[in-house]
Amino acid sequence: MVDDVFDEVGLKVENLHASYGAVEVLRGLDFEVPAKNVSVILGANGAGKTTTLRAICNMCNTSGTVTLGDRDISRTGTAEIVRQGMVHVPQGRGTFPELSTMDNLMVGAYTRKDNEIKDDVDRWFEIFPVLGERSSQMAGSLSGGEQQMLAVARALMARPRLLLLDEPSLGLAPLIIEDLFDRFITLNKETGLTMLIVEQNANLALDMADYAYVIESGEIALHGTSDQLKNDPAVQEAYLGA
Amino acid sequence: MSAPLVVVAKNSAEHKRWQYVQWAYVAGFVLLTPLVLQPFEIGKMNRALIMGVAILAVNLVVGFNGMLALGHSAFMGIGAFVTASLVQDENWDYWMIVPVVLIVGFLIGVVVGLPALRVKGLYLALVTIAQAAVFPSLVNIDELGIAARTGGPNGKGVSEEVIAPSYWEWLPGVDGARGGSAYRYWVIVLMVAITILLVTNYLRSRAGRAVLAIRDNEAGAAVYGVNLPIVKTMNFAISASIGSLAGLMWCMDKGFVAGQDFTFLLAVDLIIGLVLGGVGAIQGGLVGGLFVVWVNDLTKRISIPLGLYTLNGDGPLAKAIFGLILILFTFFAPGGIVSLGRIIVNKLIKVVPLTPAGQPIEPLSNFDPGMESTRADVAMKMSIAGPVLLAVGWLLMNVNNLLVGVLAFGLRMGILVLAPVAMLVGSNELAAHADGNRPDSAKGPATMARTLGALGFLFVIGYAVQRFVLTY
Amino acid sequence: MTWNFDILPDFIFNGLSLGAIYGTVALALVLIFKATTLINFATGELAMLGAFLVYVLHMEQGLWLWLSMLIAMALSAGLGILIERSLTRPFDPSDHLPVVLITLGLFLILNAVAGDIWNYQVRILSNPFGKFPSWVPSVGGDRFIEVFGSRLKYQSIGIWVTLALALFILGLILNKTKAGLAFRAVSSNVESARLVGVHTGRTLGFGWAIASAFGTLGAVLVAPQLGGVNPNMMATILIYALAGAALGGLDSLGGAVLGGILVGLIQAVLVTWGGVVVFGQLYMSILQLAAAFVIILITLLFRPSGLFGTRRVERV
Ligand SMILES: Nc1ncnc2c1ncn2[C@@H]1O[C@H](COP(=O)(O)OP(=O)(O)OP(=O)(O)O)[C@@H](O)[C@H]1O
Ligand SMILES: [Mg+2]
Repeated sequence: MVDDVFDEVGLKVENLHASYGAVEVLRGLDFEVPAKNVSVILGANGAGKTTTLRAICNMCNTSGTVTLGDRDISRTGTAEIVRQGMVHVPQGRGTFPELSTMDNLMVGAYTRKDNEIKDDVDRWFEIFPVLGERSSQMAGSLSGGEQQMLAVARALMARPRLLLLDEPSLGLAPLIIEDLFDRFITLNKETGLTMLIVEQNANLALDMADYAYVIESGEIALHGTSDQLKNDPAVQEAYLGA
Repeated sequence: MSAPLVVVAKNSAEHKRWQYVQWAYVAGFVLLTPLVLQPFEIGKMNRALIMGVAILAVNLVVGFNGMLALGHSAFMGIGAFVTASLVQDENWDYWMIVPVVLIVGFLIGVVVGLPALRVKGLYLALVTIAQAAVFPSLVNIDELGIAARTGGPNGKGVSEEVIAPSYWEWLPGVDGARGGSAYRYWVIVLMVAITILLVTNYLRSRAGRAVLAIRDNEAGAAVYGVNLPIVKTMNFAISASIGSLAGLMWCMDKGFVAGQDFTFLLAVDLIIGLVLGGVGAIQGGLVGGLFVVWVNDLTKRISIPLGLYTLNGDGPLAKAIFGLILILFTFFAPGGIVSLGRIIVNKLIKVVPLTPAGQPIEPLSNFDPGMESTRADVAMKMSIAGPVLLAVGWLLMNVNNLLVGVLAFGLRMGILVLAPVAMLVGSNELAAHADGNRPDSAKGPATMARTLGALGFLFVIGYAVQRFVLTY
Repeated sequence: MTWNFDILPDFIFNGLSLGAIYGTVALALVLIFKATTLINFATGELAMLGAFLVYVLHMEQGLWLWLSMLIAMALSAGLGILIERSLTRPFDPSDHLPVVLITLGLFLILNAVAGDIWNYQVRILSNPFGKFPSWVPSVGGDRFIEVFGSRLKYQSIGIWVTLALALFILGLILNKTKAGLAFRAVSSNVESARLVGVHTGRTLGFGWAIASAFGTLGAVLVAPQLGGVNPNMMATILIYALAGAALGGLDSLGGAVLGGILVGLIQAVLVTWGGVVVFGQLYMSILQLAAAFVIILITLLFRPSGLFGTRRVERV
């Protein structure tokens, strides 16, 4: 559906199907996430956004082709995909409640073998000072927003090439959200980290993203650069509250 | 032979005919058992039926409610000891004890089940394992008069054997040498039938549907207002009371009960029977019971020399064989023998369900293979295979080797299925030929299948009747 | 009815050392439960097999006892990994029935194979803590020291020290190594563990390995109290361990140890007061086993998550 319009493809998804039991949720998605760019997926509740991210990571029953860089990862196990450089921050955080904040970050670096892990931890404690203050507290006892920060920081501990974020703004205060998204942009600009973000806050998402997709009942309904979509009347009505 | 040989609409005349054949087999089996088997073999059959009831009880929890009950040996033990004590010490009749045993089993089921079923997870397995492990030692407690009633470590015998009153002596097998065990066989068959009937009805009732709903989707059932702890506990308690009933039957049949009969190993036997028979299938219990008792009997007699080492089924390794069977079934046939049987039956015959209006949901003609049909050929082969296998089985019967003997038995049983199927498919195909749906070349094989199949079937029936008349 | 307080310390010491063994086996159960919410009913038989390995290596081959124990623990760990990989990994862990059936099948097979090889007689296995070294001021043939006017067995002290050491090492493994971190992550949230790149299968194998090694340790320590090793040696121990694990909280490692010790103490008190004095010596063991059952029921009734269970146990 999307032609090879990008210079360098980060992630390419072809004819992706996914089902839970007998219910087919994704019905043949095709899209590409350009490398070093930020893309967003928009869609109503239950459209299949979370399922899309899960399917990309091989966490549910899928068929179709997913290519990361130049590697076919459709049959690669979830844990192995992380080693290929793609990390997923699941919806609803998915932290390890019985582990301390520190251990959560350390386990985020599980796939790394270098010796800069400690430095990275310090860096995230600098960026999210609350996490530093609570480094020995169990993650389960952090507030919802703190856990969300922890989840993002943990994912970045793996030093991914591509980051999948499922509603990172969920449960965060508006100021924090803006701050967080600023950081995403900085990260993207500074390190060229590719990002695919699922987001309900369409205004914010389109402002930040280079490229956007709209999913409706398991299919790509619209796609284009974020400016194109911002000016699309259908998108304005359905997602931007215009 | 991927397409089924016979396609019938549900409740059509032909479907009924198949069902009659099935029931005839069941009836023949039930009638002939006490007539042709030796008394000690009837005893084993009784044991198998009793295990069947207990496995049905376990199935009610494991198969139909999705909870893990691993300690029904204790319920059987409770039923058996209550029975022994009431018969021996209080001179009660067995039928008077039935309600007592049911109630006692139910109450204990509530006491054990409620704490464990209030919480999610494996807790029932935990509690019931402990219960099975503890039970044999409980009967030895000296205080509260327990040991006096249970006989303590010596066990308790019931001095009077259960034999047929004179007005029941006309029952098949109930005279002469087999009298006692054959009479108990009939009593047990009656109780098994009633139990199965009641359980089937229970599962169709409101409560039963709630039980099934919990198994299929616990969270969903809760949303629809099913009170999970109560429904689960009631179901477990009902299962416990059926388990106790099996204990009563045990006591009645054996006339002797001891704590050592109701150990954890019996509980494991029940689980093995459940898996072998079929988790979640009513018939699974009986099939499993038969297999546990007879396979146990077989493995005891196995002795395979392997060079320096002889594999003896008589020793501890019998249990290892059971363990292996359990693991193999879990891996390769999680639905047990019942589902394997269903797979075979589905290959032979497909029953098309009806729409509410009474029409088949898919026209039967859709299943007709048309002119290229090879059904007649297959049926002809089956009609020939039946007698051939029978003959081979007969010859092999004289080889004095256990495994060959079992094989021979299996071969001889083949005709039970092959003959009627060949007959019915043959006549179906002839009818199709008459309608112009089959080439003329199919007529010969079809006629042959029908004739030979009918002869085989007649032979089976004749043989059964002859055995019946001869021994009765 | 007379209360016999004089022998109480003896029984408490005894209870504490038996309890430590229950705790060890409970730990083996909890290690697997924590990661998979499964109860491995073959835990006891795996441990028994480990004890027989020690028997073969030490009594038959004449290897040094402690070396035999280490080898046996390593071998059981390997067996644990093998079992996890070949028998349990193919099944969906959220469906409990198949895996429970597998562990029951293993229980039968291991017990029967051991019975076939070594038959069911009790075989003496040397006590790792038979006699005090000569420099300890001890009494009773070097087996006791006097504490509070009662005898504290060398064996009890040995068991405590061994268990403490083993726990310390376990703590190090879990808290200081990468594999330990991965194990804790998998126990906490399997899906997220996969999302950070942890191979959950291998990590569960690691859990099985440690659990099997701990089981073997428990079996070797308990053997002298049972007069030696035999294929059925772990049957009742497993029930006490289950009670200990339930009491402590099925998902709490520390709880398992403390729960096991508490069960041992309860048992000891039953022997002193309930068993010996009230019900008579002969039946004490019966009451004790029943006590394990009652402990499980009462725990579930009043505190389903156990005394130290961390995870919220879900009401249905
Ligand atoms: N585990 C599951 N089992 C069965 N159905 C599921 C499961 N997870 C999701 N679904 C169904 O799949 C559909 C898509 O779900 P998905 O979570 O992908 O939606 P979403 O677009 O992420 O919605 P939201 O914006 O609310 O997060 C929904 O109809 C949902 O009910
Ligand atoms: Mg979602």
